[in-house]
This record gives sequence, structure tokens and C-alpha cells, in this order.
Amino acid sequence: MKNNILNTTIGLCLMGLFVLSACEEAAIPVSADDTPISLDTISFPVVKAIAYQSPPEMGKTEYLYFGKQDGYDFQYNLIKFDSSSVTANTPFSFYNDSLVIVDSLKLSLRFEKDSIINNVGFQLRYFPNGGDSVFSDLESNYLNFDQGIASDIISTAQMETDSIDTNKTEVYLNFMLDSSIVNAFRDTSVLDFNRSFLVELENESAESFNFHSTDIQAGTKPELTVFYRVFLSDTVVMDTTSRSYLSVADITIMSPAPISNEDTAMLSVSMAKGLKSIVFVDMDGWTLPSKSIVSSAELIFNRVETDSIAPFKVISHPMTSDGIYDQFTSFTNDPYDEDLNFFTSTNIVNNVLKINHRKVASEIGQKKFTNFGFKLQSSFNNDPFTTVQFYGLNNQDYYPVMRVIYVLP
Amino acid sequence: MYFRNKLSITILFIGLLGAQSVFNAYGLGMSISTHHTASAGAGSIGLVPSFYPGVSLDNPATWPGLNFSYVSGSYGNRSIGIGKNGNRNYGNGFDKIQFVIPIKNRFAIGLSLKPVNDHNAYFKTDSTRMNFQGRDIIFNKEFRSGGGILAGSFGISLPMNDRMGFGLSFDRLFGSSRDEETLILDSVHYRLFNIKTYSGSTFSLNFAGKFYDERDIMVTGYARISMTGEPISGTQYQFDLFEDKNDNYSFDTDDYPATIGVDTIDVSNIYAPSSFSIGLNAGFKNDLNIFGEFQLWNDQATNGNYSSIYTDQIGSKTHLGGGVIKFGKMGARSWQDRITMRLGTFKESYVLKNSGRKINENGISVGIGFKFAATGNQLDIAYRTGSRFMTKDYKESIQEFTIGLSLGDIWFLRRRAKQ
Repeated sequence: MKNNILNTTIGLCLMGLFVLSACEEAAIPVSADDTPISLDTISFPVVKAIAYQSPPEMGKTEYLYFGKQDGYDFQYNLIKFDSSSVTANTPFSFYNDSLVIVDSLKLSLRFEKDSIINNVGFQLRYFPNGGDSVFSDLESNYLNFDQGIASDIISTAQMETDSIDTNKTEVYLNFMLDSSIVNAFRDTSVLDFNRSFLVELENESAESFNFHSTDIQAGTKPELTVFYRVFLSDTVVMDTTSRSYLSVADITIMSPAPISNEDTAMLSVSMAKGLKSIVFVDMDGWTLPSKSIVSSAELIFNRVETDSIAPFKVISHPMTSDGIYDQFTSFTNDPYDEDLNFFTSTNIVNNVLKINHRKVASEIGQKKFTNFGFKLQSSFNNDPFTTVQFYGLNNQDYYPVMRVIYVLP
Repeated sequence: MYFRNKLSITILFIGLLGAQSVFNAYGLGMSISTHHTASAGAGSIGLVPSFYPGVSLDNPATWPGLNFSYVSGSYGNRSIGIGKNGNRNYGNGFDKIQFVIPIKNRFAIGLSLKPVNDHNAYFKTDSTRMNFQGRDIIFNKEFRSGGGILAGSFGISLPMNDRMGFGLSFDRLFGSSRDEETLILDSVHYRLFNIKTYSGSTFSLNFAGKFYDERDIMVTGYARISMTGEPISGTQYQFDLFEDKNDNYSFDTDDYPATIGVDTIDVSNIYAPSSFSIGLNAGFKNDLNIFGEFQLWNDQATNGNYSSIYTDQIGSKTHLGGGVIKFGKMGARSWQDRITMRLGTFKESYVLKNSGRKINENGISVGIGFKFAATGNQLDIAYRTGSRFMTKDYKESIQEFTIGLSLGDIWFLRRRAKQ
């Protein structure tokens, strides 16, 4: 009897304990008054803005361009190949062995399309006296590259169709090269020979021809194939075999199309035209409160055209020196260096570009970085021939502005 | 029996959270008035006897009245409802773990571990909407705090004469807490953490005396003076704001910015509680007791520069309470006669240091205690309900269910010689 009472009592207690021990952690709704941590905003005007032009930098495009198109003149293309072969990692010094006989070389470029409508001739040169470096895919352009350092023509070719299977064909431009070319590549006096070629049209053409480049995402990169045999003894020789070397850098050297009045009057960006823009945001006197964090610092631009646009990204950096905003200028070299630590790449959405520069805005607000303004240029991922214009300071409704939202404790 | 004990111990170790309250976000939170279940059942601050006739386990001066040594634990479950919409939170945690040894009915020593304050809070604000040059910005905030101060206590009881007793207890205060402030903008959480550690000590002098003892009634008086030995000092680690991109509540490589700073601030004299309490108990012949208690509590810390979610903090408190206790008899034949019944009511009033605003709490409590086994084991259950509110501000309804198990044994007591 006593045990029953005790057990019942303990049981009831434990039930009560469990009923209330749900440990529910629902937040209590309260008023925001008198609570810490808050949000603040500040808007900075863009007080200077101008577009400018520098020679087109086409080193990171997905295609190598030949011929002419919409006023653009694609003069020639430069291609550099890897020092080691695909898979086997065979260096060119491998061919120095007296038992290795190079029979021939082939340089292949894949055409953009799968069929040939108008076939034209191409010619190839190389740079036997170019030393270890011939061009830079980030800096070379039609103004600073000397085509005269290239050799005479070493091969010519036309596009040819290659059947992949019964339903699919691909078009290649194959240059067959004499085995003597490899002698320059295996030159032991130059530690890292340039392994570069210049490809151009035999004759000027009003048409354009595009080939897959090193930077193509889904395609076939330029390839150099070396065919060779190895002597196992004086009388025994292996069958011809080959090693393939993929391109590691390439660039289309071109002169830009004429620019329009709109290009110069607006804030324009275009890779093929070499159009870029700079803006200065007046952030003088602004100090970001201690311990605050910038949620967004959007530099906002409105596109002039109102039609829809294919995905287009704008790259922006803060500049490291003052800009010149007097008038539109064409420079032979881009005079504005940027701080690459603050790289941003932003899509245009609904014809509005909102570049979030919160990282550098934080540093400017903390007086750790000097505000020289911001530079805008087209992303390498865009169609290089697309020009996008944004309203500048003159438009009363769509002027550029920087809006900062920050959280402070 | 073995299973029952094991289950009880398991239950005791489940959960360590108290139910959150907005008021716990003021300074170090609300100071806890009641620790043992027997005191909670009577709505007492532990000064007057509530565990056993003449004995309160929260008052060392009364410990010599115990017939056995006790290991005692109290575990509470709290439910707090906020406002009229009935948002209700639940939490549970230890109220006290204690070990008391009476020695020859004249002396006693005891050890205990108990929470000093309740810092558990979790609340969020309504959404705030603002227009920033045509763009609607909507954000809200969340705040959490938890942890707090624990007291490791040593108590000793000494007789003064046959009518009066004296008790001294020394509390070592220690612990840590964490609070988090979050602003949520477009589902992105911006968080700020503070982690704090505490160290300090308090001591209290307890008195129990028999004032009047006639055949039908006995009046006893109790008093306690608590003072700060070493005001609480601490280290505060203030982490900079960061954007918790992956919303995992901690700073990592996915978050912005890439690095955040931590300020380590040593702060002294941030909490220095002192109190004066008196109580009177009238015991009647039929084991019925009527009691009343009054307490003045004050935080005399000189340094208020210790961050909390709200910039204000609890500065003082008064407690006024009274109730009726009918003690059960240990050797009674009928189980009903072995039950202790408790009923009490109390009113507490807190005053915030900076603003002077008041937090009022009113409540009633009921409790029972059941004695079992020959060594005076006691199972206590208490239920308290009440409301807590700040004028023209939040109102909370509180329900608290506490269970305490005290297991007695014979240590340092005269045993009968074996026949």
C-alpha cells in the first residue's frame, strides 16, 4: 500500500515534469525600442564620370577572330602552346635525343561552325628569334605588338571537314609543319622557349572566321601535334607516334570599330571597342562608425537602351590614381591601374547595374583606402562586340549614385 | 527501487535552460530568490522553516534541527507566457544541489551549488520598414542570452545558546554567459557576440532564534545579512559584427568580412549584491505554522560598464511574502499525516538602476512534501504561478513546477548501540 502511494506520487511528479519540460525556445516578440544593433543608410553622389578608350584586350575571349566584322579589323592571332604534352607530359627537350626522329608537326584550330560555306586560305608564322616570350594575352594589342618579329610563312592551310560520326562533322584548320620547326622549340640555349605562332588570313576578307580559343568553356582548344619515331637500335625503329600540346594563351590582335557619339557621351563599356568608364563617388568626410559592417555599397547605373540584353557582366575595381574627367579620350595604353583586391563582377538586371563595392567602401569609411574612383569594363565572359551604355551625370532621373547600407552595434 | 532512483537521477540531469524572459536581458538578469523546492512551495526566500519543523535547507542557522544528513536536489520547470497573444516558453534547470550534515544536533555543515541569476532570454523585434531612395528595406532583430552566475556555497551552523543559532555561509560565484545580437536584413543575419566570464564571492550571516515558546504557540525569528566579499569581476570578449552568410551562428571562412576583431575587456566590480532579510514564524500546537518574510536586496556594483542586450540593469529588489505551512509527522501511521502542506504568496519589486523603472512580480505558491523511509527521505513538489510586468510595458505570466528529492542518512549522529 505504502509503495503504491509512493510510486503514484513519484509518477505524477515525473509526468508534471515532462509536461512542462518541453524546452520550447520560441522567440518573444518585443518592440525594437531601446534595443541595440541598428541599421543606417547613406547615399553618395557620383560627381565625376567619363568614358574612355584604350586598345582592345582580346586575350580572354572564347574565340580567335579572323577577317572583318562590323567595322572591326581582325589582323592576326597569336597562339602559345604548353611546354609539356597532354597526359604524358613530354617536354620539347625530349626531341633532342638522337634516337628520336621528328617527322612532322600539325597545328590545329577548330572552326566555330560545323560546315564550310566560304573557304579561304590561312598562313602561319612562328617566332624563332622571339626568345622566351613573344606576347601577353592580357596586354598585347594592335598598337604595341610588332608583327615584324615573326618569321616568314612556314605553312598555309584551308579549313577541312572532319567526320566525327555519321551525323556530326567538325571543321578544322590544320597546318602541317616541317620537322625543322621543332629545332627552335627544343633549343637548349633558351630555358623556356616561346612556342608561339602567328596565324593570319592569306588575303584580306570582308568576312569573319571564328575559331575556338584557349579560353573556350566547351570546345576544342588549339593543339600542336608532334609526330615522331624512336630508334631502338640501328636497324629497329618504332612506328610513328605523337604527342599533343595544347595552347596556354592566345589573343586576337585587332583594330576597333569606329566609336559613336553615344559611346563617348554616355558611360560605355565594350571589350572589342576598348571602351571603359571611370566614375568618382564623393565620399569625402564619411567615416564608417566603429565596429560597423557594410551590408551593401551599391554603385548604381541605369542602362540607356531599354531593350532586353543577353546576360552581360561588368567588372569594376577601385582605381589607384586620380582619373581625368575633362573629356572622352582615346589612350594608347590604359592609364588607370586598378586594385585587383577589390574585384567585382556584376550582371545587369532589368537594365540596372548595381555593383556592390562594400569591401572597398568599408575601407574607405575606415580611412584605410584612398578613394580615387571606380573603373568599369566589360567582363571577358561577355560577347566582346556588345557595347553597353549607361546614363552619366546629365540625366536627371537615371544618374549614377552609390547607396550604402550598414549595420552598426 | 534501483530503477526508480536511477530514473530520478536521470530526470535531474535533463535540461539546463530556464524559460526565457525579456527581463533577463537587463544586465546580468533577474536574481533568483528561491532555491529549494520546499521554500518554493511556500513562496519563501528560504529564511523561515519550510523543509522540516524548525529547518529551512536555505538557512544554515536552522540546520542543527535536522535529524539526518541530507543530499538534496531541486529541479524546476518554468513556463513563461508573454503578453496577450499567449506566446509561451518553456525551460528547465537545476535550482539547487545540496549536501547538509548536522553534527550532534548542535552544529552543521553544508555544501551546495545553485544559480544566482537568470540570464536566459530570447526575443525578436517586429519588422521595421524604411524607404531608402525608393528601395524598401525591411529588417528585424533577434537577441539571445544565456548562461549566468553559479554559486558554490559552503555553510556552517554554530549554536549561540539553547534558544538561538547562528549560521555562516560563504558563496564562491563563478560562471560565464553569452549574448548575441542579430539584425536580419533580406534573410541575411548580421551577428555580434559577447562572451563573459564571472568571478567573485559573497558571504552571509544567518540568525535563528526562539522568541516565545508557550504550550500552544511558539514564535521564532530569522534574519540574514548578505554582503559581497569580492565584487564580481570578469572578462568580456566582444566580437565584431559579421555577416553570417551560412547562418550557422558562428564565424567561419564563409562569412564576411574575412576576419573579425575581438576586444578583450577586463572589468571589475560589476556585481556586488547585498541584502538584509528578516522573517517571523508562528508555530502552533497542531504543527500549523504561519510565517512572514521581508527582504531588501541591492546591487552595489560601482561599474555598470558591462554590456547586456538592454543597457539598463537590475539595481535593487524588495520581497514581501507570507504563508502557511502544515508540517507532516515523520512517524505517523497514516500516510496523510506524513504530508507537509505549504501555501504562500509573495510580491517582489525590482528597480532598474539607470532608468528607475520598476518590474513587479506577484505570485502564489502551493507545495507538498512527503516523507518516506526511516531516514527522513522527503519528496517535495511545488507549484508557483504569478505575473511579472513592467509598467506600460511587457507582462509575463509565470508558472513553475519544481520537484525536490532529499535523501537522508545518518552521519555524525549518535546511533543506537547494537543490542
